[in-house]
Order: sequence, then structure tokens, then C-alpha cells
Amino acid sequence: MTTTTVDSISITHLSKSYRRRGAEPVVAVDDLNLAVPPGQVLGFLGANGAGKTTTIKMMCSLITPDHGHVQLNGWDVNRRRGPAMRQIGAVLEGTRNIYWRLSAWQNLIYYARLKGVSGKAVNQRARRLLSELELWERRSQPVGEFSRGMQQKVAIACALVADQPIVLLDEPTLGLDVQASRTVKQWIRHLSSVEGKTVVLTTHQLDMAQELCDRVAIMRRGRLIADQPTAALLELFRGDHYQIQLDAALDEPQLAALVSQLPGLHVLHSNGHITLSGPIADQDALVGVIGVLHAAGAPLLRVEKAEPTLEEVFVGLMQKEDKEDTV
Amino acid sequence: MNEALLTTWNEMVKELRIRWSYKFSIVVEALMMVAIFLGITFFMGEGDLQSGRLAPALVGYIIWFYALIAIGKISWGLREETQTGTLEQMYMGSQPMGLLLIGRTLGTVVTTTIEVAAAFLPLALLLNIRLPWTWEVLPLGALTLAGLYGFGFIVGGATLIFKQVESLANLLQNLLLFLNGALLPVDRLPPPVEALALALPSTWGIIALRQAIFDGANLATLWQNGVLPNLLINTGLYFVGGLLIYQACEGYARRRGLLGQY
Repeated sequence: MTTTTVDSISITHLSKSYRRRGAEPVVAVDDLNLAVPPGQVLGFLGANGAGKTTTIKMMCSLITPDHGHVQLNGWDVNRRRGPAMRQIGAVLEGTRNIYWRLSAWQNLIYYARLKGVSGKAVNQRARRLLSELELWERRSQPVGEFSRGMQQKVAIACALVADQPIVLLDEPTLGLDVQASRTVKQWIRHLSSVEGKTVVLTTHQLDMAQELCDRVAIMRRGRLIADQPTAALLELFRGDHYQIQLDAALDEPQLAALVSQLPGLHVLHSNGHITLSGPIADQDALVGVIGVLHAAGAPLLRVEKAEPTLEEVFVGLMQKEDKEDTV
Repeated sequence: MNEALLTTWNEMVKELRIRWSYKFSIVVEALMMVAIFLGITFFMGEGDLQSGRLAPALVGYIIWFYALIAIGKISWGLREETQTGTLEQMYMGSQPMGLLLIGRTLGTVVTTTIEVAAAFLPLALLLNIRLPWTWEVLPLGALTLAGLYGFGFIVGGATLIFKQVESLANLLQNLLLFLNGALLPVDRLPPPVEALALALPSTWGIIALRQAIFDGANLATLWQNGVLPNLLINTGLYFVGGLLIYQACEGYARRRGLLGQY
């Protein structure tokens, strides 16, 4: 006997354009295909205007697609909205998401009932969520009186209170301080590893995405330009990634002049040294870079192959796409 | 509890809680409404507050107060929820938005009724305004409110698309005060204006309520004299039409990605 696992999220040929009066329509999402298996943390990345938010909102049934389908645990979002919406909890970017006039407890109970669940189990889950997020003592206080970090924790708890198997988090740490941001990150990890939830995380904090995501999908101009496990994506850039350490004897104008001759490399300052980091295609190119440094009189300390960061992979992929567009 | 009932109940409780959190504003709003009522009737009575004329005016004015809340609160509430992002969260619920709207409406009706009772009962006692109780008030009042809220849904639908419809809402609220018979019986209006007034929500409701309260007309009498059939048709058109128009606006907003935009 064979068993088939239904993907938590299945997106097929999804497209959306926005018509504008007297102008060409803007294509926000263009024939997007994506499948996310249960329990995976997917980093959904892209520059502003890449189509991430439109995609997320189509997954939440907030925007109707022109073509294509989104299925959540097998339920089509547009044809079977009710059961599909029971699969998903979301914290959307740029808004409060919760009622500031209500208490944390009232918000949680409201959102659970909105998903059609109530009773003892919900009360217990709400109590557990508030306790684990260190909000239990202040559960009766209006959320408007909370700090930004506490409000975001309540919003996340509301997205989880009905025990939905899929969680969408759009910029969940935006505007949070270090401590609150750390708590949210720990929670995302907990959701996937302990509760087995499927998490879609959109963020511009690529270090966070690298830290938390099993897989990364990158959008550009409405299309997916990468969709790979995080390790495999980093591996793509590992071979040609270098860090070149210089003594910090160069002043800023000299450094700026130098960097302008070395496209693709970016500057990091640490421990009194300057490090140039980025992709260098091959040995000949590496010798070329060292030649430029030597000619500029830059005091070279160390050259080494380095692990690329997700940020560097992202920038590299974007530059490659830009080049292809220009050609 | 059945999921549809749970959703409606949930929305009603939320509405009550949020409204209660604005306690101070509610008290000020109620006092202001009493002051406006006294001011208008004082001027219309040419400097005299005659308790005999105050009673029918009060019935009309209370219905207009419900209209004010129905139109204003639906529009203002949706706009505020668009700004705060809670509207998008509501749309991610597992039940149709129509149920949420009905729950929200029930919550508003309850709070407005408390407000009306708190503001106008002491006034009625103070000025010796007699409003004889009759059970006909309940079905007639419910029908009148259903029509008004249907009208509110139309304004709500417009809010989803155009966002800034405060001036339209204000215009409609004031139009109702002068045309629905709240202050001046519609048969005293010029014929074309009277025809327009009779097509508005709440006009037939005010006529029916006044006949039931002050003339002792029962439902059978109101049916025979044509007031009740007209009220039923008017309410049916506004309530069903309002929900359908809201739904159409919602579909448009989803296609254009307007639910979360302000």
C-alpha cells in the first residue's frame, strides 16, 4: 500500500496583474508554481515589489488571482474558502493585525472563534501561548497599552490560537528590539521543530532567513528565480566566494575608489580591519583583484575562500538577473 | 454551538466590547443627541416645547439616531479596520463575511438601544413625553432597522472600494433626518420630494411605528392600509440589495487587492 503526502501549500500557475487607468497592466505575479511540504520553514524572499505580498494575500484569499490555484492542505482557497482558511494563520506586514481596544485574552478567543473553534481546548491553548510568550500576567490589559514587541507577540499568538497547520509570517520581526526579535525567532523554530507546522516566512532580514529556513524561494518581478533548500542555495555560490582582508590603513575616499574598481565585492569593517567579501569567478579573476589592490597600495593581510551568506547569494542572483535583462 | 452562530455571536461580542471601550464618547454622543433633539423641537415649536408634539418627533428622531449609527458605524468601522489590518484578518475567517456583518449589526443594535434608553428615557420622564407601549413596536422596529442596516451595507461596500466616504455618509445621514419623516411628516413635503422620501429606508418604518404607538393600529390594520406591505417591500429591497451590493463590492475589492489598502 502506498501513501501520498499532500503538500501543505500547493501553488500552480498563479498569476495576477493590476490594471491601471490609461497604462499597461502591472504584472505582480507571473505563472508561479510552488509546493511546500508539511513541517517545512520556507523563506519567501524578494525585493520590494517582487510580488511576495500579492502571493501571500492570494494564499490568504484576500486577493483573487487572475489565473491558477492555491491549495492549502488540499483545499482550494477560492473554491473551498472556509476549510482552506481553517488551515492557515497569518501575521501580515505593516498592520496591527489585532484589536488594540481588546485585551490579549479577548483577541485570542476572538481569533479562535473566527476560525470556527471554541471551548476548553482553545482556552487551554490560548493560556499556553500567552504563558510561553510571557504575556499571561497581562492578559486582561488592552493590547494598545503594550509595547510594540508585546503587540507582535499577541499577533503571532492569534495566528496560532486555532492550531492551524500553516503559518504565514510577513516580516514578523520588523520594528522589534533585539530581545523581542530573538523571542519571535525562537518561536518560529519551535513551531516547525516541535509543533510540526509549515511556516512561510517573508523577510528582508536575510540573516534571519538563513538561520531559520529549511528552504528559500526568491521572487523577482513576479517570477521565482530560485527555489532550493537553503544549504543547496549557499552551495551554489560557495566555490567562488572569497574574503580579502586588508589593513585599515585606507581612508574612506581611497576605499571607495578601490571598491568602485571591484564590482560585486562589498566592504565589511571588523576588528580594525577592512574585509572585501563577494564572488570572484576564477583564479584569473582573483589574480586580477589582487593586482588592483596591489596597484592601489592596499596592505593585503589575508585572502581566503569563505562561506557565502544568504544575503550575498541574494545579491548575486539579483545581479545575474539584472545582467541577463540588460543583455 | 453551530459554527455560523458562533461566528455571529463572536462578532457581536467583539463589537460590544469595542464599543464599551469608548464609554466616555458614548455618553458625550448621547448628551449631544438629546441637546440636538431639544434644540430642533424648540425651534420647530417656535420657542415652545409642547409635550404633545414632542412624542411623535421623538419616535422619528430615535429612528434617525439608529440610522446615524447604522450608516456611520459600518462605514467608519470598516475604514478603521482596513487601516489597522484587522479587516484582512476578518476576511481570513472560515465563515462568509455576511455572517460577520450581521453579528456586527446585532452588536451595534444592542449598544445603540442601550444608548437610546439611557439618553431618552430620562428626557421623556423629565418633559412628560408619553410613548404608550405596544408589542407592535418590536416587529415594526426590527423591520425598520433591517432596512436601515441594508442601507448601511451599501455605504460599507462603497467604503471597501473608495475608502474615504465620510462626506457621502454625512450627506446621507442628514438627508434622512430631513426626509424620512423624523421631524416633519412626509405628506407635508412637495409631491416629488415625498416620492423620494418614501423610497428612502426608515420612512415607512416611522409611519408604521407612529400609527402603532399613537393611533393604536395593530399589524392587521397596518397591512390593510398598505403601510406594512410598503415597509416589507422597502426593507426587503434595502436589506437583500444591501447585502448583494456589499458582496459585489467585496468581490471587486478582492480582485483589485483593495481590502488591505487605505
